[in-house]
Amino acid sequence: MTTRRALVDRLASVVGPSNVVHRREDLLVYEFDGTIEQSLPDAVVFPGSTEEVAAVVRACNSLGVAVTPRGAGTGLSGGAVPAQRGVVVATGRMRRILEIDPLERLAVAEPGVPNIQLSEAAAEHGLFYAPDPSSQKACTIGGNVAENAGGPHCLALGVTTNHVLGLEIVTADGEVVTLGGRTCETSGYDLRGVFIGSEGTLGIATRIVVRLLPVPAAVVTLLGVFDSVERASATVSAIIAGGMVPAALEMIDRLCLQAAEAGLQCGYPADAGAVLLVELDGVDEVVGPQAALATAACLAHGAREVRTARDPAERELLWKGRKGAIGSLGRLAPNYYILDGVVPRSRLVEVMARVSEVAKEYGLLVANVFHAGDGNLHPLLLFDDREPGARARVLEAGAHIMRACVEAGGALSGEHGIGFEKRAFMPWLYGEADLENMERLRGVFGNGGRFNPCKLLPTGTGCGEMGHNQAAMRAAGPEAYV
Amino acid sequence: MGSEGRHWPLPEDAPAFADLSRCVHCGLCVTACPTYVVTGREAESPRGRLYLARAVSEGRIGLTEAVEAHWDLCLQCRACEAVCPSGVPYGRIMEHVRAQVAAAPAKGRFARRLRRLVLRNLVARPGVLAAAVAPVRWFAGSRTRRLAVKAGLLRLPSMVGRLEKQLPHAPGRPLRAGDALPEVEAASSRAVLFTGCVMGELFGNVHRATARVLARAGIQALAAPGQVCCGALSAHDGDLAFARGLARRNIEALELVGEDPIIVDAAGCGAALKEYEQLLAGDREYAVRARAFAARVRDASEFVAELPMKVPARLGARVTYQDPCHLAHAQRIREAPRRLLAGIDGCTLVETVASDLCCGAAGTYGLLQPAMSAALRARKAAAFHRVRPDAVATANPGCQMQYEAAVREAGLSARVVHVMELLDEAQARAGG
Ligand SMILES: Cc1cc2nc3c(=O)[nH]c(=O)nc-3n(C[C@H](O)[C@H](O)[C@H](O)COP(=O)(O)OP(=O)(O)OC[C@H]3O[C@@H](n4cnc5c(N)ncnc54)[C@H](O)[C@@H]3O)c2cc1C
Ligand code: SF4
Ligand code: SF4
Repeated sequence: MTTRRALVDRLASVVGPSNVVHRREDLLVYEFDGTIEQSLPDAVVFPGSTEEVAAVVRACNSLGVAVTPRGAGTGLSGGAVPAQRGVVVATGRMRRILEIDPLERLAVAEPGVPNIQLSEAAAEHGLFYAPDPSSQKACTIGGNVAENAGGPHCLALGVTTNHVLGLEIVTADGEVVTLGGRTCETSGYDLRGVFIGSEGTLGIATRIVVRLLPVPAAVVTLLGVFDSVERASATVSAIIAGGMVPAALEMIDRLCLQAAEAGLQCGYPADAGAVLLVELDGVDEVVGPQAALATAACLAHGAREVRTARDPAERELLWKGRKGAIGSLGRLAPNYYILDGVVPRSRLVEVMARVSEVAKEYGLLVANVFHAGDGNLHPLLLFDDREPGARARVLEAGAHIMRACVEAGGALSGEHGIGFEKRAFMPWLYGEADLENMERLRGVFGNGGRFNPCKLLPTGTGCGEMGHNQAAMRAAGPEAYV
Repeated sequence: MGSEGRHWPLPEDAPAFADLSRCVHCGLCVTACPTYVVTGREAESPRGRLYLARAVSEGRIGLTEAVEAHWDLCLQCRACEAVCPSGVPYGRIMEHVRAQVAAAPAKGRFARRLRRLVLRNLVARPGVLAAAVAPVRWFAGSRTRRLAVKAGLLRLPSMVGRLEKQLPHAPGRPLRAGDALPEVEAASSRAVLFTGCVMGELFGNVHRATARVLARAGIQALAAPGQVCCGALSAHDGDLAFARGLARRNIEALELVGEDPIIVDAAGCGAALKEYEQLLAGDREYAVRARAFAARVRDASEFVAELPMKVPARLGARVTYQDPCHLAHAQRIREAPRRLLAGIDGCTLVETVASDLCCGAAGTYGLLQPAMSAALRARKAAAFHRVRPDAVATANPGCQMQYEAAVREAGLSARVVHVMELLDEAQARAGG
């Protein structure tokens, strides 16, 4: 066992004493992310360069200490929570945009750059970075790469992996490696693709090359107001079946839109059963007729009203509600447990009914936001963590909901990742051999299980708190589902 | 409240659990926070500061100096509050947290006590304040200052040097409570001008400009007697008891003059006055009076922008507007001052990046946290350097002082003005 003192000294020798924190009060704020998971690190280190990141990882490896990368800590699967204590490597000092190349339409950034800053910096060239997680003002591009983050506008344009051309990473072994490059096509295995979405278990991205797209000439944003989620869902299916792929297609249910309206005054009618945000973009000639079609589809499926944002300010307001919807739930309860299931669009209504049923069974309030176009649902179970037994109840209800998604032919995560809490569910989708292969792939990047341990894969020991979730999972169904 | 406050030294003013538990640590606020933007560290973010307050509240950690240091670095700019979807009342929480820190019996608090003593004896006593500020005002407009700067005497990284850079160049005569303002012929209505403490001593010119702008719209301004400091500096410092006393005095004094609107040209004071009800929540009688009082309070830009009568204004200048935190974040007023400036004939409004990121002045913060204050000022200087304005307009005295320094740092000769000063000048030029 290394003493904390020795660990801190060693890290300080790499990055300088002011870039290591280790007092309890300073560590406390790194025990959480956007979820309800908690685990206190032994030290947090802020490297300033790729070389420092590599040296930190090697130092931790030689001392046998776990390493957990961290961006802005907005993750929704516990990815940045140091499950086995050890060292959190935070990218807060690596926040430079190194290059914007308007001709090649790409940008090169350090991992700690907040997502939105890429679009802000590219704006003067008429370009933007497409993936726009609702947390984009805060979350980092490094965190986006790790989670293969999506966002409302990923329906037509694709998620992070479709926009990252190349990466420089420090592997779990502490080696500096370049994956991909500055063009869309590379030869050989697509290791860039392997790293994106690996949830910080294979290494730390230290430099990221992203593709930039031209800002669309015309944008129309519609708000369809419905009496029920069913009607809004039927509209979603109709729009997609009509052959149109809107830039974004988002649904918010009653509880959630009420909270958002209360918190953000975004203009959602608080008595609606659901609202649908539809955005169309491209050239004028296409956007106009598409907007007319989408409006007609809303009305045909019982929309009470369809509003069109009249100017960019109004559009922003409508989006502000959607992007702040999750956070606004703090008005209703001190805690929420957010799920991230994916189901085939055609089964959305049926799974939603199951979600309400489970919530009712467990006596929980549930609010919902959906990336409806992708069949990605985010039920949020509201609770108060101070209430004895509440957490266990919520986890169990969550397990039932995830189970329902899997049974409907869906997946365990649309964009938030498997992380800590959902890894117990992996055997529902993958057999032993599959999981073993994933484990081997992880081993290629090094680590011996000490690099962001207890995440993504259900294997690994010493992940104490996992216990309750396994119990929740057993309650929801047999382990070997496939 | 119950046992909620039991881990705090001053339970009756403990941050409410209902307030703290509203934070679901989603993190959406972190990049709005100036100190996070500068440091990239969670403990210097709103979410981090709230988490630490909650941890103390739950008895997980004590009220240590390490925790206090993170809170001390907070500018109380409330940018976090404005973007928080969950409605966490950060400003209120931090005032209560500061009250706890001030009440904590630990050592090393001599400086805090001294600060409180000075504040208590200065801001609430017009005579003492006037005597204290008089030499500063003299120095600000003096030849001695110009000579001293030329000779490099103030280049030392001293407090005096820092202060010198921030002083306005022509502070003008003070305007205090009870002072007479020129009579408006055939005035159609009346408005109370809130005079404040330092504002009235060092920025009498701004008050007069506001009064003239009102006069051109047919409104008689009145520097009603009996009003005192708004109490914001004390409240931010956690001296809630003292702030409450000032609030009561202001309510009493301004009730005497009737129902007229109370016009405030210092954003920090305006925010404080509008929130008297919250400050006095524990005092049933005054809370009710505070509500009626707050309903009368209007920021000068907010008020003037809504006046039906449009007075012609002309001034050829490139002007950038910088949002005072307590106007944009606390009062949520962003458009009104911009509309007034853009409405001046010949005036080009140029936006800088992050015009609503705190300048680092933040009341007494510049003196207590010089490094962070300077880092934020440097960002403003860089932003000014890029857009090269003729004038920097804002709406709060502390910010004005900080921008004086930032403009100089950027090597520019732009003048720093209050929106009301520029508007007044433009109206005068247009023949009003
Ligand atoms: C209100 C709210 C709304 C959200 N909306 C969306 C949404 O619409 N779409 C979406 O996809 N997500 C969404 N999220 C989830 C979250 O914002 C994303 O997962 C985001 O990508 C996390 O980025 P971060 O910088 O906060 O990473 P963190 O939370 O700090 O870390 C997330 C994971 O990435 C790893 N990591 C961080 N940096 C690096 C690096 N440089 N190299 C390797 N691994 C790294 C960590 O170890 C961890 O496993 C939302 C979250 C919140 C709170
Ligand atoms: S203060 Fe508000 S925005 Fe910030 S983390 Fe808490 S809930 Fe989220
Ligand atoms: S008040 Fe300002 S400095 Fe303090 S936490 Fe909020 S945003 Fe940061």
